Amino acid sequence: MPTRNIIEVSNLSKTYRKGSAGEVKAVDEVCLEVPEGQFLTILGPSGSGKTTLLNLIGGLDKPSGGKVILDGLELSKLSEGELVRVRREKVGFVFQAFNLIPTFSALENVEVALAPTDMSKNERFERSIELLESVGLGQRAHHLPVELSAGEQQRVAIVRAFANKPRILLLDEPTGNLDTKTGREILRICHEANKEQGQTVVAVTHAGYVRGYTNRLLFMRDGKLFSQIPQEEFEEPV
Amino acid sequence: MIPFTYAVKEIRRRKYRTAVNIAGFIIAISTLITLVMAARGWETCTKVPLNSIGTDIILFYTAPVKPAGTGCYIVNHLFSYPFNQTLLTEIEDVPDVECAVPILMHRLRAMVFTGIDPSETETNAVLPSSIIEGRYLTAHDGYVALVDNEYAQLNNLTLGSTVTYAADFEVVGIVEVSATNIMKSHIYVNLPIVQEVLPEKPVGLVNMGLIRTSSPGKVEKTATALEDEWPNSSTLTGSDLAETAFGVIQINEDTAWSISIALAVITILFTIKSQLSTVAERTKEIGILKAIGWSNSNVVNQIAIESVIQGIIGGLLGCALGYIFASYVLSTIGGEIGGALNFITIDPIILSIGFGISMVSGIVAGLFSSWRAARLVPVDALRTI
Ligand SMILES: Nc1ncnc2c1ncn2[C@@H]1O[C@H](COP(=O)(O)OP(=O)(O)OP(=O)(O)O)[C@@H](O)[C@H]1O
Ligand SMILES: [Mg+2]
Repeated sequence: MPTRNIIEVSNLSKTYRKGSAGEVKAVDEVCLEVPEGQFLTILGPSGSGKTTLLNLIGGLDKPSGGKVILDGLELSKLSEGELVRVRREKVGFVFQAFNLIPTFSALENVEVALAPTDMSKNERFERSIELLESVGLGQRAHHLPVELSAGEQQRVAIVRAFANKPRILLLDEPTGNLDTKTGREILRICHEANKEQGQTVVAVTHAGYVRGYTNRLLFMRDGKLFSQIPQEEFEEPV
Repeated sequence: MIPFTYAVKEIRRRKYRTAVNIAGFIIAISTLITLVMAARGWETCTKVPLNSIGTDIILFYTAPVKPAGTGCYIVNHLFSYPFNQTLLTEIEDVPDVECAVPILMHRLRAMVFTGIDPSETETNAVLPSSIIEGRYLTAHDGYVALVDNEYAQLNNLTLGSTVTYAADFEVVGIVEVSATNIMKSHIYVNLPIVQEVLPEKPVGLVNMGLIRTSSPGKVEKTATALEDEWPNSSTLTGSDLAETAFGVIQINEDTAWSISIALAVITILFTIKSQLSTVAERTKEIGILKAIGWSNSNVVNQIAIESVIQGIIGGLLGCALGYIFASYVLSTIGGEIGGALNFITIDPIILSIGFGISMVSGIVAGLFSSWRAARLVPVDALRTI
């Protein structure tokens, strides 16, 4: 059965002007097709453009050239309002720095993603609690981020990304600030979503253990994608 | 409605920032209310003593020393010389003078005894409208008197009782006169009778003319003209009373408004600045919210609602504090005139204007700062630390 490409990226570029040093091509003419349900992992040295690429795919940033088609929608052709819907409904983002709102409790951090939907207050509450329970944080719902461990914070961030049931998960070094055990747990949760609900995952990570979950590895250098992976890219042996 | 929930949460969590913003509103609004209400109260309380008896200028002759005898002629606590009643007829010929009403006011110890011409019913030491029991005087009345209600109660006087001041008088009317009326006396009697019974026998003499001018704008000019024409005379106008009471602290309502509007503008700028730095502190959060699918209008609403709520709280507290300050100001410096506090009225218009300015500042500050925030591309907002 042929699977369609949920992400299609063609000739995508992002150029930053860097004062007198000229221009930096953070993403350079990248072409990429991701079939629905794939768990794609991107590796690459610091500054190679991985974050920039993920941001462009998720519609958080505007490209200098080329296009991104998400689930049949070409991002550059969307109005701001339609783009908001894409960010809300099609993609879920998980960042290395967790990016939780520090003044909100774990529960509120999840609810906030449901706020712009037409769910009732009760429904939002129940869905958020349910999500937190699914990652074992039912008891921590009313704690502020500072009162949670790094792994717990990242689990909150993951269920926040899951909140609107996006078909695509974009993970930018989600385990970068976590120890191996917690990092493994985070990737396992994403893998489960990938296996059970067929969510497409694009993960940027150096964690060696990602090999147990991923079904495609790409390597990025100087804004370009390659399918050959240098072995030393992994932080630790599998 | 959803951003409202988060706006309230943010306000409660960012207590310090919220307090600073609200304090800004409170300072501006309470200053506005204090200044305007105090200015208005001050203006009223200096005008009322004269206006309530239908006069603009009190004319009298000042005496350098207390005259001999047991009693004395007075003008609002000052001793004064009696002068010829016919002078008032001459004064009525001065341009802009509408009428000059004769008064003979005499004091014996704590008692004030006043002779009036009852045919004058618009400008007089006591007006027919002050009658609460019995009747006003007529030109034909002999040994009958009007007595002040407080005095009557203290001395168990009723209609038909006898009251004594140099002679015996039958009480025919009880009058209620406010303490702010500078002509307030204990007993009022027909002028010719007073001229007859006083031990000084001042026949044909009075010690005061209550002068009404053709328009409020003419008061000061006329007063000066009178003093120039009759060099021994002295005049007392509303603004003289105000100076006695307030010394140099004189501000009128226009000045009060100007100062207040300037302050309101400063508050708006202050609040915008404060909100902008709130937004700067929160840029990353705005980036997060946009990354997880909040629209620009969601973000704008949330921040705008926050500012509006702060504006409302600030406006309410500002109105309350302003009212308290205004009352305090008038009660400390307005004590001289007596009962100045009575002139502080809760003017719903001033309060609503104050509250409105606070609200509008909130909206302006909120929209301006949130518009800045919403323009950010999510990734740029996220990149800030
Ligand atoms: N806002 C920006 N302005 C200028 N240059 C930028 C900006 N964002 C990224 N860059 C540059 O673009 C290049 C790619 O950055 P990017 O953050 O995508 O790399 P990365 O692969 O995610 O690195 P890391 O592994 O350190 O997170 C870098 O050279 C970086 O300096
Ligand atoms: Mg990166």
